[in-house]
Amino acid sequence: MSESVVSSEPPVGSPRGDGDGVELQGIHKSFYGQLANEDVDLDLPWGEVHALLGENGAGKSTLCSVLAGLYRPDAGRILIDGVEHHFASPRDALDARIGMVYQHFRLVDTFTVAENVVLSHPETPAWIDRRQMESAVAALCERYGIHVDPAALVMNLSVGERQRVEILKLLHRGVHVLVLDEPTSVLTPAETTALFGAVRSLREEGKTIVFVSHRLEEVLSIADRVTVMRKGRRVGQVVAAETDGDQLVRMMVGEQVSAPVRGSGPASPGPVILGVKGLEVHNDLRQAAVRGLDLEVHAGEIVGIAGVAGNGQRELAEAIAGLRRAVAGSVSLNGQDATSLDVRGRVKSGLAFVPEDRLATGVAGGLPIEDNVIMRRFARAPIARGPFISRRAARKWTDELVERFDIRGVRPGLPMSLLSGGNVQRAILARELAEQPKLLVAAGPTRGLDVGATATIHRLLLSLRDEGAGVLLISEDLDELELLADRIAVIYAGRIMGEQTAGDFDHEAIGRMMAGVEAAA
Amino acid sequence: MNDSVVVLTLASAIVAGTPLALAAIGELLAQRAGVMNLGIEGMMLVGAVTGILGASATGSPWLGLAVGAGAGLCMSLIHATLAISLRVDQVVSGLALVILGAGLSSYIGKLPDPPLGDRAPVGRFEPVLSGGPADLPVVGPIVFGQDPIVYLAVLAAVAASVLLYRTRAGMAVRAVGESPATADAAGISVTRVRYGYTLLGGAMAGMGGAYVTLALSGTWQDGITAGAGWIAFALVPFASWRPLRCLLAAWTFGALTNLNFTLQLLEVKVPSDLLSMMPFVMTIVVLIFVSARPGASRLLAAPATLGQPYARETR
Amino acid sequence: MRRIRLEPRGVPPIWLRLAFPLLALAGAGCAGALILLVTGFSPWSVYSSALDAAFGTQLAWQRSLVASSPLILTGLAAAVAFRARLWNIGGEGQLYIGAIAASGAALLIAKDLPPVLAMAVVLVAGALGGALWAGLAAVPRARFGTDEVIPTLMLNFIALYLMNYLIFGSVSFWRDKERLTYPTGRDIPDSAVAPEIWGRLHLGFLVAVVVTVALWILLRSTRWGYAVRLVGDSPRVAAYAGVGVSRRILSVLLLSGAVAGLAGAVQIFGTLGSLEPRSLAVNLGYTGIIVAAVARFNPLAVIPVAIAIGGISSAGPTLQTSGVPSELVLVLQGLALLVVAASEVLMRNRIRFATVPSTAAAG
Repeated sequence: MSESVVSSEPPVGSPRGDGDGVELQGIHKSFYGQLANEDVDLDLPWGEVHALLGENGAGKSTLCSVLAGLYRPDAGRILIDGVEHHFASPRDALDARIGMVYQHFRLVDTFTVAENVVLSHPETPAWIDRRQMESAVAALCERYGIHVDPAALVMNLSVGERQRVEILKLLHRGVHVLVLDEPTSVLTPAETTALFGAVRSLREEGKTIVFVSHRLEEVLSIADRVTVMRKGRRVGQVVAAETDGDQLVRMMVGEQVSAPVRGSGPASPGPVILGVKGLEVHNDLRQAAVRGLDLEVHAGEIVGIAGVAGNGQRELAEAIAGLRRAVAGSVSLNGQDATSLDVRGRVKSGLAFVPEDRLATGVAGGLPIEDNVIMRRFARAPIARGPFISRRAARKWTDELVERFDIRGVRPGLPMSLLSGGNVQRAILARELAEQPKLLVAAGPTRGLDVGATATIHRLLLSLRDEGAGVLLISEDLDELELLADRIAVIYAGRIMGEQTAGDFDHEAIGRMMAGVEAAA
Repeated sequence: MNDSVVVLTLASAIVAGTPLALAAIGELLAQRAGVMNLGIEGMMLVGAVTGILGASATGSPWLGLAVGAGAGLCMSLIHATLAISLRVDQVVSGLALVILGAGLSSYIGKLPDPPLGDRAPVGRFEPVLSGGPADLPVVGPIVFGQDPIVYLAVLAAVAASVLLYRTRAGMAVRAVGESPATADAAGISVTRVRYGYTLLGGAMAGMGGAYVTLALSGTWQDGITAGAGWIAFALVPFASWRPLRCLLAAWTFGALTNLNFTLQLLEVKVPSDLLSMMPFVMTIVVLIFVSARPGASRLLAAPATLGQPYARETR
Repeated sequence: MRRIRLEPRGVPPIWLRLAFPLLALAGAGCAGALILLVTGFSPWSVYSSALDAAFGTQLAWQRSLVASSPLILTGLAAAVAFRARLWNIGGEGQLYIGAIAASGAALLIAKDLPPVLAMAVVLVAGALGGALWAGLAAVPRARFGTDEVIPTLMLNFIALYLMNYLIFGSVSFWRDKERLTYPTGRDIPDSAVAPEIWGRLHLGFLVAVVVTVALWILLRSTRWGYAVRLVGDSPRVAAYAGVGVSRRILSVLLLSGAVAGLAGAVQIFGTLGSLEPRSLAVNLGYTGIIVAAVARFNPLAVIPVAIAIGGISSAGPTLQTSGVPSELVLVLQGLALLVVAASEVLMRNRIRFATVPSTAAAG
């Protein structure tokens, strides 16, 4: 019971020696009739970093999940060194030495690093010896140059550290193929660099890394070859050293999607619509999440908030919307102090809010669309008639918004949660914009949406700004912010680190501020 | 000295707490795996009636206990199927079990001729030790003079504790309750673990019920558990999902349910109906007190996915 | 290996929604038949005699409707709370306290009042009593987020012991002091007794029907009902929509308690005429939960479901004469709840059987 905590030595060099790697052939996968992968091929030789590139919703994650045994393909084959394998579960894939780091980490928060690492290993002994387990994991860290404290509780770790735990888990299982699903989307630039170092050293050991991303620069800098996907299909495959960004973009986007119409030139900011001064807000665990934050949004401009997830964005947005109490500081809307106003008071002063978790906060998923689009006006005529609600007026209003905002898939009585993400988001924006707000706070409004829906939402945001409203756009997607915002403010640890104006966005400087490095004045 | 009120009270508190402990530890394990079974009362009732039926048919309280455990297990299989496979709301499913259990137990109790309620008490469990250490002053009756099931409950608590914190299997249970997706990705069958511990919980509740008729009363009567199943359910959050604390809490509530008996010994006259309320009043007061404290849910360390069904292929 | 998979179906077809309660009861009946067979009875003769006893004659109908009156109310109490996803399992205790308050008010002040006013006093007192009892769990729920399942349930036992104490454990205001060997409650004054509207059927049934319609409108067509729907779907979303969540939680639970308390009052002024623990503690509150679930928490559907279940319950004693324990009724109720819970899933989802290739891995 003492030795077997650490897996048997994975062979160095080409993992199988004789074979030529892993191959996916003709993978089909659909969910509830929606095709996520259609006839996708992928070949992964040993010792290669292979990037999967594509827009959100292109089917990259689905393909990876098929490879990792989480989803069973409706059709298609998985070959390892020429031999066909069927994966009924992730465990089967792990037994075949294929493992995946998911976008949402699969870690038990209340476990230590070491417990998480050994949890999945079939040779973990029946009786647990904590000290021995931890020293074994420490040895693993040492060997691959990955640094985490084996005795630390996962709930106390940063996102970057958690990712390292995920990778350790797979290494402990002795995998030969590591699938990393959008690994950099939650990392600071420095953490990204460290991750790339680890990826390169794993390649040296002959392991194959599948690297999923929608960021071109990263793909070009780390990958040996790139497979591009669009709308569930494989568009093509190129050698990274022989391609450039332009070619990849063309492959990713396909035929020209009408680019968002940038507002008519530079913004013409009007009076201050949103004023935030010295704001302090707690998170759900009553820890300081926003710490003395100052911010102004003027009429007729889009202000972007850039930052790595978990730096107080959520709490900031909720405090402005009136869903979270300010511990200190003030929020003013339209020149009036709004700190003590409740949600309805703020909406009356012209606030609209698109929350980041649209299904958990933005819509009542179990109720039909009708109940969802009247949220902002159910207390007013014509929908309210005294203490009653006029069903006819509600239905009329719904039809009007469905028509105006092109919300699709609506059937009477259909619960909102069964609409597609793009249509849910359209419905939310329809509801919020129909009130002709003076300020829109939008958190990650295009996250997880396909290219078409994203373009629609970008157009809506820009036209709102051109009509003279202020927009506070909170996003983790720096490209999106640079495309839309008139100013970008960077949030780090609950404070604004610095600000840049459209026309002179300095990508690197923003990246440094996101990592908490003070910007040069 | 061993006849003193304090000694008798403590000794009988432990006996009265034993069915609570058995049922609560079973529930605790199921909840650690993420399954909330509100139906303990129903499973205990069915365990109680089948237990005494089994004992009187075979003449052995041990076989009765086994029959009761089996009946509880069968009941919990219903809950497991509904809650885990069909993803039915666990409150509804648990409640159904309570009502079904109440009905079935009374129905079964009236079937034989003569009905179970009209029969003489069956043979009970004998103390493990008589004489020797059991005659020691004070600790004798409390620690050494108990029947075997009391020790079985202690053993169950210790075993559950060792299981959860010292074994790989326990790590799997905790992982399934905290983050089923993680457990699934780690190759642990969430469904199998949840079924397993729900069934174990059912068997232990059935055993707890059987103990009520086999050791506490010796006879059957409708609704004999009188809410013990609910108290057992409430014990789990009290004990912060920790088995050893759960055992202590069960004994404490055993003392509370025995207040009538104790005060009789002390010759204090308090209406018995009002005394019978005490465990229920205490449960509410403690629950409110615990939840009113800041950071209550973290303090309690409730399994993160308690009561939530798990489905792998969600998007 | 075959695996069962659930896929959301969206909007269930209308025929299924209408037939649902019937199918659920039929399903429970089938499962019950199995139990009868195993225990040596003929399901056919048991069921036909039960149905006959419940709905065979005018008198049977009257008895069934009388039995359904409190069930309609406790069913509504459960439906109102469960719609907001608040698990008020305390209908049983709220009914007892409603009955204690109603009989107390009748004994105290109804004597010299004209009948209409006296009955109003009884009903209002019952509702207030139930609301108060629900409030003991509702206030901590709204204030601290204390889970309501266990407190509402524990309060049932406390109410039961309280009621027993008033009649069996003490010589209280409620107890008939003349009868010492077989303690019962004091009869309420005639002015507070509900008049009969059809044979044995008394005013209580009408009260239940009126409350049903009122609640149906309240939940379906008012701003309050809309806000409760939001809270029920997700408190986060309700807060986002500017709804005061804890106030809504409090009001729903108090309303639920009041309706359950009203059930107690209806039993007092219509069926029993005095505080009678043995006749009150017959699981009316728990059965209400089953009524609500079979009715899929729709207030209008509560009435027919309560009549069906009330009818079967009132047939219990008839069963006893043929040797079948009357607790069969309780078994059937538990089965009905199980069947409902399981078929709810089938209604919302399609079941797919997916054939999975067995794990084959060579090399």
